[in-house]
Amino acid sequence: MIGLRKTLAGRIVLTAVATVILLFLALPILVILVTSFSDNAFAAFPPDTWTLNWYKVLFADGSKWPAALSLSALIAALSTVFSLIIGVTAATALTRSELPLRSAVYALVLGPLVIPNIVTALGLFLLFEPAAMLGSPLAMALGHTVLASPIAVLILIATLRGIDERLEDAAASMGAGRLTIARRITFPLAAPGMIAAAIFSFITSFDEFYISQFLSSVDTVTLPVQVYNSLTFEIDPSVTAISAILIAFAILALALVALVRWLGSGRQGSLLSAETATGIAAPGGEAV
Amino acid sequence: MAALTAAPARPRKLLASRKTRVGILYALPVVVYLLVLFVYPIISTLFLSLKNADGSLTLHWYVDALTGVNLSVLITTLRISAETALLSLVFGFILANAISRLRPLWAGLAMLIVVVPHFISALVRTYGWIILLGDKGLVNETLAWAPGAPYQLLYNELGVVIGTTSMMLPYTVLLLYGVMRGVDRGLLAAAASMGAGRVTIFRRVYLPLVAPGLASAGLLSFILSLGYYITPALMGGPNQTMIATLINQQVTKENQWNGAAAQGVLLLLLTLAGLLLVKLVSSLGASAKKRSAS
Repeated sequence: MIGLRKTLAGRIVLTAVATVILLFLALPILVILVTSFSDNAFAAFPPDTWTLNWYKVLFADGSKWPAALSLSALIAALSTVFSLIIGVTAATALTRSELPLRSAVYALVLGPLVIPNIVTALGLFLLFEPAAMLGSPLAMALGHTVLASPIAVLILIATLRGIDERLEDAAASMGAGRLTIARRITFPLAAPGMIAAAIFSFITSFDEFYISQFLSSVDTVTLPVQVYNSLTFEIDPSVTAISAILIAFAILALALVALVRWLGSGRQGSLLSAETATGIAAPGGEAV
Repeated sequence: MAALTAAPARPRKLLASRKTRVGILYALPVVVYLLVLFVYPIISTLFLSLKNADGSLTLHWYVDALTGVNLSVLITTLRISAETALLSLVFGFILANAISRLRPLWAGLAMLIVVVPHFISALVRTYGWIILLGDKGLVNETLAWAPGAPYQLLYNELGVVIGTTSMMLPYTVLLLYGVMRGVDRGLLAAAASMGAGRVTIFRRVYLPLVAPGLASAGLLSFILSLGYYITPALMGGPNQTMIATLINQQVTKENQWNGAAAQGVLLLLLTLAGLLLVKLVSSLGASAKKRSAS
């Protein structure tokens, strides 16, 4: 397909090296999934005997994992709500209006994504410590939103850019009010993007470590901080099970995003059926 | 006549100002939020790093951060980040190049293996490496026949670089894949038709075309490694302490906020310098592209 001669040996070498690099990416994940079912958590690979023991230990009495799990879920849920509110308004401002200092606003939004997380976390620690808010789930959710909302904004900007504004103009020309347009046209078309933004905000907060570690107290420990602590202080095999659950959770979330996008991809096409032949850009580009 | 021209101008102006007002209203939440919870904390970090115990201005936290143990930590940080950037660039180049030659279905599958790990917690992936690289881990078991096995692959610099490289690899692959897809294959074919060999084509045509992408991918993974904490802390030994680990220790263990603030500001400045370089490289690349096109 390139128009260059390719030697067979060259192709085999290239394929082999590329496969090794792919394994380099996939193996750390696969090994956790397998080890979490292994009877002998560290001694042998592949395992000799299989067990569900580590998963049972997770939810046994006196286990610290359920509390960490529910705290992380609560913080992530709060953070998702904040990020969606910020994301929808900011994306509307950046795509559907004339905004003075637009590039400055855009740079501000990108800021938390390029500045090292540890710097952001340190700043938030210095902000919340004097306010005696260390260990407060609300403080952690507010902190996580600093990292999650830019991602939501970027996804929703891509979503709104992908929606043909003529649909909104057409509705307006037929007398629809702003609310009606938002409710009947923009929202249904933007729904897949909003779900994707919600899922990515949730994952960002759920996996966040730096801010959580700085803002956590003895009683409020999020799941990633708990995993980190179990890896540094006392490696217990149940950490493998919780890691496997986190992997499954992330893959499930990504699959959900893909499903929603696939379901939503046909919608605008059917609304603009007269133009599908000429080819309209599919809604929602990837922004992450 | 004047009334006629003024009539369409006025509603347009009104509409524009209304659109502006709506824009400002909708931009307010994100701007206020990030100013209060992102910009203000960073500015107060900056002030803290310049403040003495009695409130007077000082640079001595920066002198502290740039001498003795702290300086060696800074150098370690730069060294590990450079090693990580180099490795993830080389691996990323090979993988992106291989994927860009695959049929769409296989390319999609390979990209899935690249992208999915990126969304799995770095903590979890680091733990996976700890299992893999241990004395009885899969890697040492497979290499059991080799002389000198088992190898020490953890709690040293090799372990850290393996870990951080696997974290940065998705970024470089994604960036380079985009660049490589943009390369006009016709140019390569043209060079071949004029008798250029494979090596010449690669060196004289392909490499110059992807060079700006390579530079920014390398710089980006360097910048992202600078502030890395989890993998060096879990997979490194005492000689692999990076600046983020130090900041964390000073805050959580030693209550030394000013020192931590100074190191945070240094990290921030290094990152901003790197980003400036990325911008410079991409504008240079753009102007080179323009020149070659004309």
